[in-house]
Amino acid sequence: MATFSFVQPSTTDEALAALRLGEPGETMIVAGGTDVLFGLEGRRIPLKRVVSLRHLPWKTLSWAGESLRIGSTLPLRTLERDPDLRRRIPGLWQAVRAVGSVALRHRATLGGNLVRSSPASDLIPILLALDSEVDIIGMEGERSLPVDQFVRASRTTALGSGELIRSVAIPEARASAFLWQRVRPANDISQVGVAVAYSPSRKGWRIAVGGVVPRPVLLPQAERLLSGPFPGAAELRAAAQEASMRVPFATDRRATEEYRRQLVATLLQRAVRAAGSHPSSPGVP
Amino acid sequence: MTASPARLTVNAVPVDLTPVPVDERLLDTVRWRLGLKGTKDGCRTGDCGACTVLIDGRSVLSCLTLTHEFAGASVTTVEGLEGDPTAARVRAAFEMEGALQCGYCTPGFVVALTSLLKELGAEASAEELTEDLGGNLCRCTGYTAIVRAVRRVHEEMP
Repeated sequence: MATFSFVQPSTTDEALAALRLGEPGETMIVAGGTDVLFGLEGRRIPLKRVVSLRHLPWKTLSWAGESLRIGSTLPLRTLERDPDLRRRIPGLWQAVRAVGSVALRHRATLGGNLVRSSPASDLIPILLALDSEVDIIGMEGERSLPVDQFVRASRTTALGSGELIRSVAIPEARASAFLWQRVRPANDISQVGVAVAYSPSRKGWRIAVGGVVPRPVLLPQAERLLSGPFPGAAELRAAAQEASMRVPFATDRRATEEYRRQLVATLLQRAVRAAGSHPSSPGVP
Repeated sequence: MTASPARLTVNAVPVDLTPVPVDERLLDTVRWRLGLKGTKDGCRTGDCGACTVLIDGRSVLSCLTLTHEFAGASVTTVEGLEGDPTAARVRAAFEMEGALQCGYCTPGFVVALTSLLKELGAEASAEELTEDLGGNLCRCTGYTAIVRAVRRVHEEMP
């Protein structure tokens, strides 16, 4: 039987203080708690305390003009049910819906998903395609990092030991889509996920792919092959071909490298068409 | 720090958490400590939905929940939905459509669908309800009768 203590800070200062208790490795930080609780048994370093972020006032969601800021501990189901999300950032809505089940999304959080940093994350590709930034708070102050610099590999991020993600900032609403392929459609992990978003300010596409080792990636070479918001069939095929050659896929128990390369080519074309035909797309009255 | 009261309310009955080990899962607290065997132990990894309960009205997987994390909260198990009119309609629809064989997954479906109906209300389509039950697995029925039961509940929504 484990004998750790349960710490439930209700302010940011209390949370940052709790992270400094004890020796490295003794503390487990829990946001939604849907993943890390599996690690309670068989730990190399005995667990001394669990710090739950559930009581922090970070379950926020705020639109400011075209931008959206999402609190790191907001349950994904609350984000999914935001009345504007589906219309304004359809790709993010689709990606959130792809995570686990409703009961899981009542607990799971964006901050937890980012720190878990799974190569198969359904959220990281769309956050990349939306040029999202991670807002980090620590004893030394606050800093922001693009998701592209935050995520490094499975369970490995740029987050320091005394730091927490406070929120995620999405700079602008974008016509977007997230498509995935799985062995089973419900409650499974994606073999490949493709996120695309058209930036009205940059006048260009962002394309990101998950199901990739060691982490989801942006594909700038494929992005540059798409000339405008409504690319033709030839451009789409060229971008799909480029993406399928470029991505460092691997073979694992979910899919072979070859299958993933075929999937990404197909899903990329479908995703760009889906994003381009969405009512919120640029040019659609 | 939040001085969490070391108690929990389960089906409107206060439960003292003092004797509950800090690493005990809510699933084990309700099944073995409180004897509420309607909540089923399926996978213990959050994949099957058989252990679904409500915490403060929202469906959660009790196998992924440490009991002490929700000190002060209100838990409702399938037993606690006995007098609930929405749950009564869900149970009746499952019965009318024969939407179960071994019955092990049924309490999870009843809790999850009741919670969805309350959360989404009249705006929910039958397709959305069905899709949102994707976290509940059934190994007997092939889901056909369960989907029929969902449609029946949806058609009979007040």
